[in-house]
Order: sequence, then structure tokens, then C-alpha cells
Amino acid sequence: MSTQVTEQETETEEQSSHQRRRLEEKAERAASRDRMRERAENDLDEADTTFTLKVFRYDPEIPEKEEPRFDTFEVPFTKGMTVLDSLMYARDHYDSSLTFRHSCRQAVCGSDALFVNGTQHLGCKTQVVDLGDDGGVPGEIRVEPLPHQEVVKDLVVDMEHFYDQMEAVEPYFDADELPDGMEEQRQTRENREKIKMSSRCIWCGACMSSCNVAAGNNEYLGPAAINKAYKFAMDEREGENRKQERLEIIEQEHGVWRCQTQFSCTEVCPKDIPLTEHIQELKREAVKNNLKFW
Amino acid sequence: MSQRNEIAAADDAVSAEYETVDRRVLVVGAGAAGARAAIELVEQGVPPEDVLVIGKRGHGDAHTTWARGGINGALGTHDPEDDWTVHAADTLNEGHHINDPDAVEAVTERMPRLLRELDDWGMAYSRTEDGGIDQRYFGAQSFRRTAFAGDHTGESLLRTLVAKAQSLDIPYRENVLVSRLVTDGDGPDGRVLGAAGTDLDTGEFVVFDTDVVVLAAGGYTSLYKRHSSRDDENTGDGPALAYQAGAELMDMEFVQFHPTGMVGDRYGEDWDGRLVTEAVRGEGGRLFNSEGERFMEEYSPDQMELDARDVVARAIASEIEAGRGTENGGVYLDISHRDRSFIEERLPRMYERFDELGVDMAEEPVEVAPTAHYGMGGVAVDDAGETRVSGLYAIGETMAGVHGANRLGGNSLAETIAFGEVAGEAIAERLATAPDGRDSDDLHQHARVHLTDLARLAESDGAHDPVALLDEVRELLWDASGIRREADGIEAGLDRLRQVRERASDLAVGDRTSRSYEFAIDLGFALTVAESVLRGARERTESRGAHYRTDHTERDPEWRRNVRYERDSVGGMHLSTTPVDEPSEAVQAALDAGHELDYHQLE
Repeated sequence: MSTQVTEQETETEEQSSHQRRRLEEKAERAASRDRMRERAENDLDEADTTFTLKVFRYDPEIPEKEEPRFDTFEVPFTKGMTVLDSLMYARDHYDSSLTFRHSCRQAVCGSDALFVNGTQHLGCKTQVVDLGDDGGVPGEIRVEPLPHQEVVKDLVVDMEHFYDQMEAVEPYFDADELPDGMEEQRQTRENREKIKMSSRCIWCGACMSSCNVAAGNNEYLGPAAINKAYKFAMDEREGENRKQERLEIIEQEHGVWRCQTQFSCTEVCPKDIPLTEHIQELKREAVKNNLKFW
Repeated sequence: MSQRNEIAAADDAVSAEYETVDRRVLVVGAGAAGARAAIELVEQGVPPEDVLVIGKRGHGDAHTTWARGGINGALGTHDPEDDWTVHAADTLNEGHHINDPDAVEAVTERMPRLLRELDDWGMAYSRTEDGGIDQRYFGAQSFRRTAFAGDHTGESLLRTLVAKAQSLDIPYRENVLVSRLVTDGDGPDGRVLGAAGTDLDTGEFVVFDTDVVVLAAGGYTSLYKRHSSRDDENTGDGPALAYQAGAELMDMEFVQFHPTGMVGDRYGEDWDGRLVTEAVRGEGGRLFNSEGERFMEEYSPDQMELDARDVVARAIASEIEAGRGTENGGVYLDISHRDRSFIEERLPRMYERFDELGVDMAEEPVEVAPTAHYGMGGVAVDDAGETRVSGLYAIGETMAGVHGANRLGGNSLAETIAFGEVAGEAIAERLATAPDGRDSDDLHQHARVHLTDLARLAESDGAHDPVALLDEVRELLWDASGIRREADGIEAGLDRLRQVRERASDLAVGDRTSRSYEFAIDLGFALTVAESVLRGARERTESRGAHYRTDHTERDPEWRRNVRYERDSVGGMHLSTTPVDEPSEAVQAALDAGHELDYHQLE
């Protein structure tokens, strides 16, 4: 209720009291920032285990940051901590300019694919303890942006090319003909089962980044796009004509035949999609398809 | 169609460039409702380049992806006696008869066709033996009516819609936060001219010059302490924007608490309030207290775990309050009597998530407690989804009317699809007859005022952290207008809100790409929405559906009315009430037939 009293006083007094309050609050806020840092120090003291987070940094817009470098952050380990959690800890306690994409935090949005200790991982799905030796907390975790993509800032890469390749396979359902009126399309449970894994793709780009062929050949459709084509080509609801068209797309020069079955995409896929298997199956379909025209 | 303008502000310190985007229709929100509306527009012949869908999140990552259990429509796959009138009757019963019957009928009558249409677009529905669209039980529904794709229905639905929108070349822009709708300034009798906001990636201001704005921007339940959304979504953007523009809000006091949210003390803070889908109960999951009692036998012997969400949520809250909760503050939800293969097939994402947390659902129960999940209230609209401000539409969770006092599981996705189509049809027709000419001078003049405010907000050096203030709103709404409410508590909540509002005028905010900037704007939305929820809860002196007053525990027939909220000429919030319409004869007949769920079919 003190503000009520102030209002009755003269204007200058009111202003100075406001100013005083503002200054006090500003000081309070500066103190709170220090406390955040202090809290990190306390966290570190109290934590049973800590580890070093080594993060790739780059910002083309700020002169002193345009030279790529690594920053290290000491992070207290907490039970269940993921790589994304540790990045957020570093951002919130040490450096608010640390930039990375993240959104759903449950492996649905596909925005936080990262290069962790030399392999593609989804930050939110990768437990810190799974990176150490036999279930322990590792001494150091190195986090870099996805290789073979242009870095926009820190851990953020440009996904444009990846999206273009996805677009190239016409990634939308398109049935030859649809049932009339209130009739339903039919799909067997077996068919749904067959394409189920392929439909789990979250467009994170980990597979493309892991693929040596895609790295060397910018035109190659890449595992994610071919898997997308698989999902539709194998969906019995679409019909035979559409399937032929789809096979033609993936059979072209930069399609399935580029795949050298190195399985790196399958190994890194955070949704466990058997990508290489799907590419192989499409190769077989394409062969079968061509045989028809002998 | 983009150009740059300079804000000619009197105060040079805050002048800034902005981008102008010229589109006949702007769809704010890229979830299921927004995507479906845009698809309808283009299918009705509106050129895609006249439309723009914007989202405040990234590609395909709207909140829809979090919807799990299913989407309702009376296909009658298993139960041929089901039809849309029974679906409408169930919806009205669940809504305690203050739903808008026309809106309910629009959704339920359209859904069988719209579910099949989604199948035509490649939706990954779970299938019956003979290849049909499978349907399962959901709470308080007379028949198996909930179509689903495992327990990732929302995710599959949004993927289907995004792919369809891509095939139609519908333009989409991500990471844009709209913070103001611009009208000609005539309030309720006004007309929408466009919208203004910020590209959160670049920090640039954007002004949209439009004939029509569709708000498909979600609900408001992340303004509660325990909630099932992400912290930066469902922050009340849609209702607050519409209210500010002169539209009315309705039913804001009705907030659904989902009975089964994950318990943070058991699974980690990050998981607190996250949903365990109703499908777990729909597939036979049972609730037990810490004494091993299947307590729903006491509260609802006939419908058990599948009674209405408000009934089950209050039952769980009562058990916990009576000291029969777990040490982590929840109760047990157990589906381990089902086979592992059944759980893996029907509830794959839940099984996977708990497995990663070290819990085997096929062997042990999970710990759950109620969590704020859905706002039944929202923007008052007519049968076409249009507000009283000409050219401003609201659909999906942003609109009010379909759910009344409580919502059936599986009806929210249904509403997004049905009203996406309804609004799309109406807007296409409107554009076909309306001249394409806009009053851009007026738009820019009004927009500049707002952008000047935004420029001042960014990097302002005040005393208070917007995140801390948002958290205070979350605390006070939870305390004052949670599962149980009473007059003194609500008053105390309004007092606390006044204090937050005072501090919100002196914020510490980062630049226009910072999280604190986004949260500062969200805080503005939150203050409006929180006031409406609290004042509606105070006004409604009865208990009905999700609104439970411990000082007025009975339903009062006199209160079969909707509370409406509008901004008066001096900026204060004005409440009034209006009576509810009667349903059609066909739906009245279904109501009279007295259908209801018989839980024991499940056993």
C-alpha cells in the first residue's frame, strides 16, 4: 500500500522514490545474475559428479566470434540428464548466447540432431551416462553441429538442402483412385506394419549428415528422402500407377543406386528406422520393375 | 509481395524497419486447425499465393503432435448402432449442456466423412482385421468411436496435413510470433486489417496486410503450474489477441484437468504434468491408490476409469488429499494385466517413453496425477467460425462453443479438422465475392504504434524477469482456479494477479531474438487470460463439468448460461451472460435415448 501514500506526495518526491525503487531493483537483478553463476558454482561443489561440455562456437555476425572455436563448460551431472539438458544448463548458467535448436524435448520434432563425440545423435534422446564407459558419467562430451551442412551459428545448421531433397520425392500421399461416397479405403494390418517404421521419420537430418555418399554428392537424394519414397511406394492404398511413378523418381541417377550400403544412416537414426534395408528393398523393386519391360 | 517500411516514430530511439507481407488470408497457427483451414481454402479455389500459414514454432512441430489417443467420428467400425447424433449427444452431456449445439452438430456430422478423407490423404490409422479404420473406447462415450494411429494420433495427423499442404504449395513461414491484430479501431463493429509481430529468428518486425485473419493459435492451459503443454505454447495467444481486437471470449472459466499427468517427483521435473494418454485407460488401464484399492469403484462404479475426465481427475485429487497417494504425490495407473505385445502395439509411444525412464509398463504401474490440459473456453464465434469483428475467425482450441463445460477425449482433434473445413469454406466464399482492396494506410498507422511499443520492450532494462512473472501467473491460477475453487481463493488470486500486472510494466528483456522477449509478449497474453479465467470462476456460483466450486457444489439450472468477456471502451474487462440454444430434433432424440458407456464391456 506504500504506493498509495507516494501518490499523495509531490511529484518530485514521487519520482525520486520511483527512481530509488528502480535502482534498488536493478541492483537486485544484477545480484540475481551473480547468484545464477554462484548457483552454478554451488551446483558444481555439491554435485557428486561433473563433466566437461566442449561446444563448437561460431557466429559470423560478430567479429570476435567469426573464427570457429570450442568453448568448455563445467556441468554438474544430475540423474537422467540428456545432452540437450546439459546444453541448456550451459546456456542458462554460463552463456546466454549459446545457440542451438530444440523444441519438443521428446524426439518428435527432430530439431536437435547434433554431432556428439563424433556421431550423429538427437540431443534430447541421448543420455549423458550412455556416452561414458560402461554406464558412468564421461569426463568430457564434445558437441558439434551436424557435419556436411552449412553452420548458421554455433550448433545451428542450414536445413534447406535437406528439405529440398525431401521435397524432390513428392512426400505426400496420392492415391490413384479413391472410393466413392462413404466407402472406406482398405489397408491390411500387414501393410500398415510394413510401412510403420518408415513413417517414424522426424526430418532431423542425422542420416543425411552421416552419409559419405551424400557428403560427396550434393545431388544424392539421401536416406531420409528415399525412406519417405519407400513409405508411399509401399503403401498399398496408393495403387500401382503411383507406385511406378515413385519408383521412377528414386531410380534416377541420384536415387537409390548411389547408396553404397554402408549402414551409417541406419546406425545413427534416432527413430531406429532400418533405412539401408528400405533403400535395398526399393532397389529390388526397381529391378523387378525394369524386368517387366524386357 | 514484400516491402520494407520505416517506422516513422516520434521517438527516434525506437524507430525500426519492418517487413510488410501482403496476403488475402493470414492463418495464425500451423497446427491441425490452421493447416486444415488452409487446405480447404486452396481446395475451394483460393490461389495458394493468397494464403500464408505462420507458426511460432519450427517445421511440423505444432502442439498437435502431442495429441495422442485419437480423433472421434461416428464411423461405427465396431458398433454399427453409433451415429453422429449419438456422438453429438455424448458431447453435449459431457459439456453439461452449455455447448453451442450448432457447433457440436457441425463437428459431429462432418467427422465420419472427414475421417475417411484423412485416410484418403494417407493418414496412418491403426487398422481392423479386415483393413478398416480401427476405433477404440474413450471416456464417457457410448460407443467405440475414437479412431487412432497407435498412441501418436496427433503426430500422424499433423504429418498427413503438412504433406497435403505441401502438395498444394501452401506457403508456410515458421518462427513468427504475432503480438497484435490490427483493426480499423471500431471494436466490436470493427473489421480486421491485418496483424503485426516479430520474426523470432531474425528479430525483424513483420506487418501482415490482409482481408482475413484466422486464429488457430491454440489454448491457454500452459498458464497453469502443472500443465501438459510445452511452456511456450498454449499461452493464451489466440484468445488474448482476439479480445484485444474487440472480439468476445466465452466459457474461459472451464479448464480441463486431465486425470493422468506424469508425476515430476517420480520421473523428473521435465516430465511433470506431461500426459499419459487416456488411451491407456481406454485399453483397460486401472487406477489404484497407495493402499492398493481400485478407488474408481467408489466414485463411479459403472463407468470406472472411463468416466468423464473431470470426475476421474477429482477422484484422484481426493485420494491424494486423503493421504492415499503415493509418496511422490500421485496414484498408480496399471495396465500390466495386458500382454506385452498388446501394449507395444496399441500404446507404442507410452511404452517406449516409460521404457527409457526405466519403467516397464507390461510389468509395473506408472504414477500419475491431474494436470491442466485443455481450455474449453476461447473466442466466441458464429457458425462459420467468425468472431464479431468482421474478417476475424477463430478455430480449434482458440474458439469456444464445441465443448461447453468439459471436453470428451478425442473431440479436440475432431474440432480442429471440422472447424478448419467450416472456416475454410466460409472464407473462400467470402473472398470470391469481396473486392480485393484494403485500407493499407490505416493498417500501417495502427501497426506502427504497436511496433514502437515492441521496440521499447526489447532490451528494456527494467526490474522483473518475464519468466518469473509467468511462473507467478501459473502458480496463482493453479491455486485459485484449479481443480477445486472457492470465492476467497479466487479473490486472493485476483489480488496476486494485480501485483503481477504492476510488476509487468517494468520488465528486463533481451533482444528480439531472445527467449525473454518472447516470454514478455506471452506474459501480456497471460495477464488477459488469467483475469478472464479468475473472474469467470468467481462469477459462476455453481459446479458444472470442469468448474468445481467447493462453496457451490451443486449444478444450478439457472446457470445453464455462457459467461462472455469483452473489453470495454476504457480497456476494462466486462462480463455478461447469455442463454444457450437448444439442439436439433435429431440430437434431442439421441439425448432422450439415454445412451452411455458401459465399462464392463471392456472386461
